[in-house]
Amino acid sequence: MTIMSNEEFAKRMMLMARPANEFKPEATYDADGDCIEFLAKPDPFYEERIDDLVTVYYSQKTNEVIGSMVKGVSKLAKRLAEKLPGFAITIEDGRIRLEHLFLAGIWLQEGKPPAIRILAYKKLAEIAERASVDVPEAMCDAR
Amino acid sequence: MATDEKPGRISLRAIDPQTGQESEVLISHARMHAVARRSLGHARECGELVPHTLQHPTAIFEGLRRDEDEDKRAEGWFCYCSKPACSYDENGVEQPPYPKQVFLVFVNRDKVAYNWRWAKSDQTDDRLPENHEQRFERRAL
Repeated sequence: MTIMSNEEFAKRMMLMARPANEFKPEATYDADGDCIEFLAKPDPFYEERIDDLVTVYYSQKTNEVIGSMVKGVSKLAKRLAEKLPGFAITIEDGRIRLEHLFLAGIWLQEGKPPAIRILAYKKLAEIAERASVDVPEAMCDAR
Repeated sequence: MATDEKPGRISLRAIDPQTGQESEVLISHARMHAVARRSLGHARECGELVPHTLQHPTAIFEGLRRDEDEDKRAEGWFCYCSKPACSYDENGVEQPPYPKQVFLVFVNRDKVAYNWRWAKSDQTDDRLPENHEQRFERRAL
C-alpha cells in the first residue's frame, strides 16, 4: 500500500471541507474506535476525560461543553442489555436518542459518582436533546 | 503521487511506537469525510496536525490504565502526542497553538487513527498530556 504524501492528504481534506456556517449537530459511530462522537457546534475543541465511558469536548473559544465521545460502545450495549433491559423501550423507529444514552451512562455508574461527573452527563444530555440528535439502533445493537 | 489505497482507507507515514522507525497508519475515508464536513478548521486539523503528530510525536503512550475490564479491542491501542506549532479556528485560519495544550491522535490495534483532539498538557512538562501517568498503561516512546 502506497503511503499518501502529507501534501496530498491535506489537499484531499480541504476538498471535502465545508464552511462552519453549514455545520449541523450530529453523532457519528466510528467502528475503528468503537465510539460515538457527538458535536453540537463547529468550534475547535479540547477534551476532558470524565470516566471510562465518556470524554467531554469543550469549545476552545468559550469553554462551554459542545460535544463528547462515548467509548466502548459494544461493551456499553452489552451492559445496557444486562443491567437496564428496559432501555429497549426508549428505542423508536430503530433510533436511539443520544440524551438517553447519556442518562443511561449515569444510571450505569457503580457507587455514587462525583457531583462534577453527574453535572457533565446532565449537560451532555441537555445539549443532545436541544440538538435533537439520535443514532441508529444497529450502531449500538442495544436490544 | 500515485496512491494504491485499501478500500475505504488511506495510509499515512507514522513513527512505529515499538521501534521508533518509519511505519504507516491508516485513516478511513468515512472518518475523513465526517470530520471535513464539520468546518474548514476541523478539516485542517485532520489534514495537517494528524500527520504532524504521527510523524513528530513528543511521546507515544499505550493502553488505558483505568479500564480494568478492558476488552480485547483495546490491545495494542496507542496515543500519539505532539506539540504543534499552530492551531486552526473554525474558518480554517491558522492561529498560534493553544497554550498549555497538546494534540493527541488515537490509533487502534489495527493501526487505524480513529480520533484526534487537543488536550490539557502536564503541569511540569507541557509536551505531555495531563495525568499521563494515571491515564495510560505505559509510555511506548
